[in-house]
Amino acid sequence: MVGVFIRTTEAMCGIAGYLDKKSGQAPVGKKLLLMLEALGQRGPDSAGLALFGTGVLGREICWVKLPEHGDREDAVVDALELIGSVAHVRAHRLTDGLLRAEIERRTTAAEFCAKVESSTVSLEIISLGSRLELVKQVGAPSNVTRLFDANGFRGSHGIGHTRLSTESRVDLSHSQPFWARGVPDLATVHNGHITNYHRLRRVYEQQGVRFFTENDSEVIGVYLADQLARGFSLEDAMKHSLADLDGSFTYLVATPDYFGFARDPFALKPLLIVETDDYVALANEEVAIRYALNNAGVAQEPSGNVYRLWRRPAVLAAAS
Amino acid sequence: MDRVHRIDCAGRTVREINIEIRSELARGSSVAVANSGARHNLGVALLTSGRVTFDGSVGYYGAGMSDGATIVIHGSAGWGVAEGMLSGSVSVEGNAGNGAAASIRGGTVVVKGDCGARAGISMKGGLLLIGGDAGYMASFMMQKGVVVILGNAGDALADSMYEGVVYVGGEIASLGNDAVVSDASPDDMNTLSGLIRQHGLKQPRRLRKVVSGRKLWNFDHAELETWRAAL
Repeated sequence: MVGVFIRTTEAMCGIAGYLDKKSGQAPVGKKLLLMLEALGQRGPDSAGLALFGTGVLGREICWVKLPEHGDREDAVVDALELIGSVAHVRAHRLTDGLLRAEIERRTTAAEFCAKVESSTVSLEIISLGSRLELVKQVGAPSNVTRLFDANGFRGSHGIGHTRLSTESRVDLSHSQPFWARGVPDLATVHNGHITNYHRLRRVYEQQGVRFFTENDSEVIGVYLADQLARGFSLEDAMKHSLADLDGSFTYLVATPDYFGFARDPFALKPLLIVETDDYVALANEEVAIRYALNNAGVAQEPSGNVYRLWRRPAVLAAAS
Repeated sequence: MDRVHRIDCAGRTVREINIEIRSELARGSSVAVANSGARHNLGVALLTSGRVTFDGSVGYYGAGMSDGATIVIHGSAGWGVAEGMLSGSVSVEGNAGNGAAASIRGGTVVVKGDCGARAGISMKGGLLLIGGDAGYMASFMMQKGVVVILGNAGDALADSMYEGVVYVGGEIASLGNDAVVSDASPDDMNTLSGLIRQHGLKQPRRLRKVVSGRKLWNFDHAELETWRAAL
């Protein structure tokens, strides 16, 4: 049905975001999957979601990518041993080469990553956070549900991505969303091309940051993490990014309490906002919002050089 | 009274919808399109007169390349609404995305809400009337025609425009290269207030007028800095 329903003429990464204002238990995974389905023609290479739920107090969720080749059981043993050396593992599950562990961390996020990723079997932490579930997979958005019951997920907000690869290879690591490595619960999705990526990457690598992909979008999370480490607020970090990132970009950002976007000065990548009393929806085509949600609210495209953050309603934060 | 032909977009391809709109206009009907769902390329290349209404938003390039049709969008429009229009009119009740009325050669485009970036880019004639604000670089490289922005204009307004006129009712964040601003004359105000009233929009207290300084028309070493900034 959707193949007939939606024909886009422009194929570039699709990004979508949804914040429910009324409930911390909204079906955000289902809504975002529908939005991505409508944006699927912008890029069929891979898709992913970063969803924010209520979480369990004191416990974090960690998704780890296991090596694509070699003995998987060895990799799982190795991963659990390394994670176990810096955290209590309360539960774990293996799906499609990804390990999902519920942990109680005993060290900083940076040390946790360094320890787990020191493995000789090349483990890669895909995400870490107390509220964040970040799942991504090669192929269509519906493939994500093989990893995780996104349709059944309930929470307050989330962001999603469907990718047309232009600069780097197609695999799970290069897919989006990207977790901002080292900062629990911070995720980004990006449409566009960061043209000063190589320069920024060189600077961060000299500071000891390890990059796991050749995808220019990865640097956005690294940049935001660096800004936060310097003591800036997320809002300031996004404001600074308008000048510090070069090229074309509309990126979405989400944390347990915030949700927003930033756009390059030339507004080279589209972004539509629909805000009603019930929700805020962001997507680079209005068709995603109309397909997944309803006809309420007027779509608006912001100008360039703009960033904006919505705070998750306090009443929801208190309830969860 | 015109016969009104109704088209429901649900479950149909854009091509099927557009073919039906065109054939119904050719038969002299008006067309009312339902469930447009912000889909792309709706109502493009309508080359006959007649009235087409969309009950909701349209996506990218909606109502582009038309010549003579009267098109009303009861919702918002994505990028490039009415792009390349020759004559007729396109009215957007909501907001428009980037590049509204890009390169139009004639006709009237009315956006009752706000426009994204580069509204009226490279216009070669016609009229673009914006009830709300216009984003970055409205009227960039405009060559002919009139743009009226009743709200505020974003940065680099009318950058590198060759000819044509831009009127702004609100604040101008900044002017583009070689754009020159003055107050609109009483004659201009009279003409425009009729137009604004005709479209049911709010009259601004005053209008400022922006035209080309024409310094970029021919290269001149004395203007090197202007050229550097523009290129």
